[in-house]
Amino acid sequence: MRGERRFALALFLPALLLLLVTTTLPLVYLLWTSVQRVDLSMPWLSGFAGLENYAKLGGDRRFWSSLWLTFVYTGTTVALQVVVGLGLALLVMQVRLGQGLLRVAAILPIVLAPVVAGLFWRSLVLAPDFGILDFATRALGLGSFNWLGDPQLALVSVIAIHTWQWTPFAFLVLLASLAALPPDIYEAARLDRAGPWQRFWHITLPLLRPAIVIVVILRMVTALSAFAAIFAATGGGPGSATEILNLYAYRLSFTELNLGYGAAVATVLLFLTLAVSFGLFVFRKTR
Amino acid sequence: MTVDSKTRRRLLKAGAAAPVVLGAAWVAKYAHAQADLGAYQSAKINWKQAEGEKITVAVIPAGYFDALIAVTPEFQALTGVEVRYEKVPPGQIRQKAILDLTSKTGTYATHAADPMYYDLYVSNGWIEPIQKYLGDAKLTDAAWYKPEDMIPAWRGANSVKGQLYGVPFDGESTLQIYRKDLYDAKGLKPAETLDEVAKNAAAIHDPNNRVWGAALRGFKGAGQNMYIYPSIFRALGGHWFSGGTFQANSKEGIAALEWYVDLLTKYSPPAVRNWNWPDLADAFSQSTLGLYIDANTSASVLNNPEKSKVIGKIGYARWPKGPSGKRVSSIWNWGFPINSALSDKAKRATWLFIQWASSAETQARTSWKAQGPVKRLGLNRLSLWQSKEFGALAGGLGANFLQASIDSMRQDLDVDWRPRMPQWPAVGETMATAIQAALVGQQKPREALDEAQTRIAQILKG
Repeated sequence: MRGERRFALALFLPALLLLLVTTTLPLVYLLWTSVQRVDLSMPWLSGFAGLENYAKLGGDRRFWSSLWLTFVYTGTTVALQVVVGLGLALLVMQVRLGQGLLRVAAILPIVLAPVVAGLFWRSLVLAPDFGILDFATRALGLGSFNWLGDPQLALVSVIAIHTWQWTPFAFLVLLASLAALPPDIYEAARLDRAGPWQRFWHITLPLLRPAIVIVVILRMVTALSAFAAIFAATGGGPGSATEILNLYAYRLSFTELNLGYGAAVATVLLFLTLAVSFGLFVFRKTR
Repeated sequence: MTVDSKTRRRLLKAGAAAPVVLGAAWVAKYAHAQADLGAYQSAKINWKQAEGEKITVAVIPAGYFDALIAVTPEFQALTGVEVRYEKVPPGQIRQKAILDLTSKTGTYATHAADPMYYDLYVSNGWIEPIQKYLGDAKLTDAAWYKPEDMIPAWRGANSVKGQLYGVPFDGESTLQIYRKDLYDAKGLKPAETLDEVAKNAAAIHDPNNRVWGAALRGFKGAGQNMYIYPSIFRALGGHWFSGGTFQANSKEGIAALEWYVDLLTKYSPPAVRNWNWPDLADAFSQSTLGLYIDANTSASVLNNPEKSKVIGKIGYARWPKGPSGKRVSSIWNWGFPINSALSDKAKRATWLFIQWASSAETQARTSWKAQGPVKRLGLNRLSLWQSKEFGALAGGLGANFLQASIDSMRQDLDVDWRPRMPQWPAVGETMATAIQAALVGQQKPREALDEAQTRIAQILKG
């Protein structure tokens, strides 16, 4: 018995060490940095700061605006992904021929690196005068728009980019769950003269609930930690109109060189993500 | 040491005098390559004193550094110091340099440094005072090197509390770049004052025919919109500090931002909000702008026959005056500092490299004497700007290029063009965000600057 345990430990140890070094240590270092005063532009102030960096967040308007943007960005992208993904899945369920092809096509945006997605949208789709979208709006007589140069439109644009890239994920998961739903319940419902809306509301949706919750959790974590696509498309601008928390933390640490304060912002984001996922897991279990 | 180099030259002459024996072509080439070093060997220092050392230099991918890289084999032959270049995109070179400097690994012996970063470097003790090397007769022959010949404001920009920390290699001044043909057709003269800029722009502005009156950098960044705004601010008489504290939202600050927003909103294409200098140069080359104000070194891009439709139609003029008669150009230059984390011998090798690169001879060899396609324009010495050879090179770039550049570098360079302080990265970034927020209409100029002021005050408090 003891020999077996030792053997298990020996197998397990390399992976554990690797994980400790690559994930836990940097995390601990992040937390440690967040309670230090480390500002490369003011090295004479360096030292232990306690919770000072966190206290400073209260009076930082840009922090609050980026926190708000993070909520808006996460909320809308996740809602859109679930609604559009579910709609597409229901639609594709009706398709008899070529369903496999549609599934493969759906994977394409997911495998694209987010930074490529951001650049692609920035230079080919949303650029004024040259982009496809601008071409379309002009052809329709709606005029030209500065998609990434206007504060509101830029936010809409980065939400659209994220939704475009990740909806296929929701679509694929929900399609798989739809295919696994038992057909006999639907038959029984039809015999009881339940209409299509009633069948959807009382059968499909409740049965899909576990899948939807998982999709929401995973998509929320991705949206909260989104960075590359926005960085490439707008750099957080114009002004700070698309600067979500992640970008603000990056800018603080690596452009403004205030590593301590940047680490505090990143820590807030970390706990926010943990809290949201934890809450959703609990929600999933209790009902 | 002098003897050494003289003997060498004598030997070389003897070698060159026997072409028949060795084959004329080979010797001619050999003699040329070797005799080239004579211009350096007349300096009364031992160029070989750090022989065998290897140094790495970080530069940005740009024509002017390519020209330097092309002549670097001569430096290696001269000193026996091996130089490796690493090209880092301009958006990342500051971060990479800081990463290296802060971890004291000494990876980059020197790097192309942003003048605004010297305060930060010096307050961390990351780089060496240049005077240590400049004042040492074993390391520098001042009579040969003539450091005082280098553009004074650039040296000033690379100094902290009067001490030089980086030697300017290449730089620029900011000029009005305008369409001379369009101006002439309307009887316009290049603007002398800020008000006239708007008037000229209004006269040229014709967006239905795809000609916009004027444009300036709109993209957010310490080196983008915060490159052009400071010139307007200073021309209007603004001061960055009042009683020792930073002042973003002064009367002049708000007026400068209002002027900038007003000009770009009325007379620029909407995409200007995300334009940096290459976008401006492209738009101007495509004949869609009447005027833009940017680096004089853009002239080489605007005269690229493959891309430009406006060759022969370009005129240049100095920055327009503010109400006090002050014109303020950027003092941008790429300088070379010496990394403190190096060994003494490597520091000496680095200094020899810097001295060589910034010397009048190398400046000329990367400009009109260059063999390759790139002939640098941003030379670091006014004496070179005024030379006949450089005049011939710069003459074809457009009307008044040479004179406007020289006048501007003589009279319009302002060391306090931007606020010099160690916290510049954060201050510059915050200002850039405020300027763009005002440009896109997210905030009014006053609100944007008030918010920037609050944030910067917070940053400076630590």
